[in-house]
Amino acid sequence: MTRPGDQISGFGLGLRPQHFSDVLAAPQPASGGDGSGVDWFEIISENFMAVGGRPMANLMAVRECYPMAMHGVSLSIGGPDPLDRDYLLSLKDLADRIEPAVISDHLCWTGAHGINLHDLLPLPLTEETLDHVAARVREVQDVLGRRIALENASTYVTFTADCLTEWDFLAELTRRADCDLLLDVNNVYVSAFNHGFDAETYLAGIPAERVKQIHLAGHENNGDHIVDTHDAPVADAVWELYRKAVCRFGAVPTMIERDADIPPFADLVAELAMARRLAAEATGGAAA
Amino acid sequence: MTGDLTTVQDLFQSRLLAGDETVRAHLTAGGPHLGVYDHAYLARLREVMGEDFPALHTLLGDEEFDDAVTGYLADHPSTERSVRWLGRSFAGWLRTTSPWSDLPMAGDMAAFEWGLGLAFDAPDADVLTGEVLAATPPEAWPLLIFDFHPAVNTFVLTHDVADFQQAVTREDDPDAAPEAISPGPETWAAWRDGDSLRVQFRPLSGDEAVGLSLARDGKTFQEICEALARSSGPVAADQGDAALRAAGMLQGWIQAGWIVGVSAEGMSWA
Repeated sequence: MTRPGDQISGFGLGLRPQHFSDVLAAPQPASGGDGSGVDWFEIISENFMAVGGRPMANLMAVRECYPMAMHGVSLSIGGPDPLDRDYLLSLKDLADRIEPAVISDHLCWTGAHGINLHDLLPLPLTEETLDHVAARVREVQDVLGRRIALENASTYVTFTADCLTEWDFLAELTRRADCDLLLDVNNVYVSAFNHGFDAETYLAGIPAERVKQIHLAGHENNGDHIVDTHDAPVADAVWELYRKAVCRFGAVPTMIERDADIPPFADLVAELAMARRLAAEATGGAAA
Repeated sequence: MTGDLTTVQDLFQSRLLAGDETVRAHLTAGGPHLGVYDHAYLARLREVMGEDFPALHTLLGDEEFDDAVTGYLADHPSTERSVRWLGRSFAGWLRTTSPWSDLPMAGDMAAFEWGLGLAFDAPDADVLTGEVLAATPPEAWPLLIFDFHPAVNTFVLTHDVADFQQAVTREDDPDAAPEAISPGPETWAAWRDGDSLRVQFRPLSGDEAVGLSLARDGKTFQEICEALARSSGPVAADQGDAALRAAGMLQGWIQAGWIVGVSAEGMSWA
């Protein structure tokens, strides 16, 4: 079997250790089958950096059957500490092995003074932050020798210093840093609810040509705020926003993230069929 | 970068690590949902520690395990890019921090689980075969130094925690609490079988623990032999006997896939 190339299209899932055996037992890329399976997988980059043994053997076995994207959580692109050169080189080593279609991380920071809080922390949306993040994105892209995509994280606070909307910030960032975007539709919905902005206005402000991947995930609605939990099926309102995103951005590779209360693999594949159906409706069949 | 961004980030981090509320002055409406970040930080890290130390969790029970993890995280905020390494110092912390230091089997269990974890996913490396030693010229032997597979690691236990840990891994109820090792602390090794990729572990004899420690520290074969001869005590056998014992150990390490490189300073051979 020839290893799939380094491009993704269609519909994917986050690859989780609980599902390795299912994926390896019956690798059935949807592009070669009935259109109801999984076209590609996304891995959490840090889980496979400087790792060997069974986890790496499983990863490489899956990679032989599916194209992949790499998604990081520790780049800390907005952090105050200098970029971690060892981390970037390790990320590049993994990318050289995986040949991912997309390398992404989040518009956030994860800690200061050498401490990693392992959370996607919010940034003030200011010119100062924009300059800081754009310079660091360029530095990362120089090391990796390719563009990265930044994802909009869910946020639960905004700053008094904010002078840009998140969509304007991201649009300007793509221009200054020549980077791409990973649009998390659930995160748009969550942040819109939490901060009272209009999600469709957000989508309209995002430069379509920069959106290389879309994330979908479940959340927890606590009444006065929503938390991006990744522990439940995609909410109906997020599916509706996804349909609008497809109308705006077209057939962008789309995947479902599930990180807690992880269901059987077949359940996620079935949920992914919903994305497939909505995208097909929105594009008149072009995304199926 | 001016100071505004870093100031806010410092305050934000102080809030998460120390409960400092000053950052609220920089948040719209005082940040009514700032607490979501507190919960995410602690919940995520506690979950990771639970995944990395399931047998210790069973041994201590929910409440005490949670207390231990909370105390550890307060003393050891993560400096790692991956949560994989969050528990790196947990065993040492348990062994030196009251009240856990009064329960040595807790530190032993953490050391055992961490060692097995290292063996499980350490980077891959090509191992040497016995043929390499057979081809080594006699004059090179005293100067030989050895490179070990990254999965090989050792830890010292005062309690035999293996049965308990294995039962938890099988999702069985452990029959009994770990028993103290008699007559005293014992060095164990964990590694990964190169074919099955399964984690292996076993206790080491006193001799082998000494020899392995020296070999992993980059000491030469001759230095290992000398240490083994000294460790045999006054009735000991001569240097030749120590060399035979060292060679036997080395053969075992190679058969187990522990050795990935052998060299002698200033010498080369095919």
